[in-house]
Amino acid sequence: MAELVPLLLLVLALSGTPLFVVIAASALWGFYQTDVDLMVMAVEIYRIAEMPVLIAIPLFTFAGYILGESKAPQRLVRITDAFLGWMPGGLAIVALVTCALFTAFTGASGVTIVALGALLVPALHKAGYHERFNLGLVTTSGSLGLLFAPSLPLILYGVVAQQMALDTPVSIDDLFLAGLLPGGLMLLALSIYSVMQAPKSDQPKPPFDRQEAWAALKDSAWEIPLPMIVLGGIYGGYFAVSEAAAITAFYVLLVSVVIRREISFTKLPEVMRDSMKLVGAILLILAVSMASTNYMIDAGIPEQVFGFIQQHVSDGITFLLLLTLFLLILGMMLDIFSAIVIMIPIILPIAVEYGIHPVHLGILFLANMQLGYFTPPVGMNLFIASFRFNKPVMTLYRATLPFFFILLATVLVITFWPTLSLALL
Amino acid sequence: MLVLMLLTMILLAGADILARSLFGGGILWIPPLLRVMVLWVGLLGGLMATRTREHIAIDLVERLAKPGVSRYLLALTSAFSAFVCGAIAWHSKEFVLLAREFNDIAFGNVPAWPLQLIIPFTFGLIALRFAIQSVQALTNRLPETAS
Repeated sequence: MAELVPLLLLVLALSGTPLFVVIAASALWGFYQTDVDLMVMAVEIYRIAEMPVLIAIPLFTFAGYILGESKAPQRLVRITDAFLGWMPGGLAIVALVTCALFTAFTGASGVTIVALGALLVPALHKAGYHERFNLGLVTTSGSLGLLFAPSLPLILYGVVAQQMALDTPVSIDDLFLAGLLPGGLMLLALSIYSVMQAPKSDQPKPPFDRQEAWAALKDSAWEIPLPMIVLGGIYGGYFAVSEAAAITAFYVLLVSVVIRREISFTKLPEVMRDSMKLVGAILLILAVSMASTNYMIDAGIPEQVFGFIQQHVSDGITFLLLLTLFLLILGMMLDIFSAIVIMIPIILPIAVEYGIHPVHLGILFLANMQLGYFTPPVGMNLFIASFRFNKPVMTLYRATLPFFFILLATVLVITFWPTLSLALL
Repeated sequence: MLVLMLLTMILLAGADILARSLFGGGILWIPPLLRVMVLWVGLLGGLMATRTREHIAIDLVERLAKPGVSRYLLALTSAFSAFVCGAIAWHSKEFVLLAREFNDIAFGNVPAWPLQLIIPFTFGLIALRFAIQSVQALTNRLPETAS
């Protein structure tokens, strides 16, 4: 009977039981088996109220939702177009840069595809890009930017890793630094491909238009300070993540609701509620998984898994290769937040045993997850894009394939070249 | 209520930063209060996500199964979820009672137990909501959701 429970839970999870319920059930079952008072669940859930950095999660999520509802995406496209549009493949690079920036601020919840895709796909089409390229580009970009501050998955990885009490501390600031070069590499690789795919039309590219650039600058005057304050503040070490989140939320609220009035006071509660649903979903998973992590560590499960793996895998290289494969599959099935809170407590101690730096592990984990978002057949963003652009999923499989292989190559570089992640620390 | 709490959070967090940078010292009770509010907002948000069935789940089978089958699956998974959340609600009630008995302090001289009350409260309601959805799925009266 006792052996059947994990299997039963797995079947329930695959049948669509909310993941927080499955995790809670496994923790409850584990504690029950070892005669721990089940009150411990409440103790673990209450620990959510003891981690200062978590304040960043509702605040950044809220700011992201507000940005998505406002006209900021249009302005972002306009200003990058004004400054990068004259280059060969310029518009495609515009799409990549805006998507990356937008995803970093809003989290890869599909908001990017929905909010920016509607602007970028027609614009790319008008500039003569192939339709398949456009769809592939936008779908891929929906998860690009995960590695840049202040992305929520990076913060969440930091929170989970800090719970593990490792010898090498994992600070969120370090993670933000570590993501810069790998994220930049992904952007660069996709940009080069975009330049190669740019339509070779006879019509000359519009030259750099100083007036339009100035007008675009003025148009985005309220948005420009935001990335500067947040990124400059975080990377410059002026304030902590939670403070950056507070400033962002406050500033975005002020600009979109009071100054620009793009979101009315009647619409605001709706946006707030929607954003808090996502926060609730994330925090519930985090809360119950702290309980299950606690149980797993007590029960020595990471050691057991490590012992098992060590019998078959002797060196770090093979381990990383297997891990990449595993994470690709995982990334298709699981959204990034649950993947972090469920898998990191098991993977991290094992990876450390193989001599992998915890910060590097975080970056490669997220890079793999980013790929999983549009890995056929069940990557989530494929379905979001299919729904948004009214195209069959098969079309999107084909459209994203070249992008998939390019990013797979960068993921492998990121995985096997730790220096890229650790150079800036 | 959720909306008011979120607004308060944003304002308090902003005020705390202002106070720290202008007067060199933060207001002592703001950071712990904010942390508790994260818990409250998170749990209440989770409650709302339950109502609209927007919890993070692997919807592989749901995507593949026929509508008739998935209805029963939903009834089953919801019933199970109701049971698990109910168990958490029940045991966290004990936790709150204990905290009250021992006069646990959250911060300043604010007792911890009223703040902890949100755990049995929301999990109880989430369990109830799952139970309702389970019955609705069985009787085929489930309201459609947007997503």
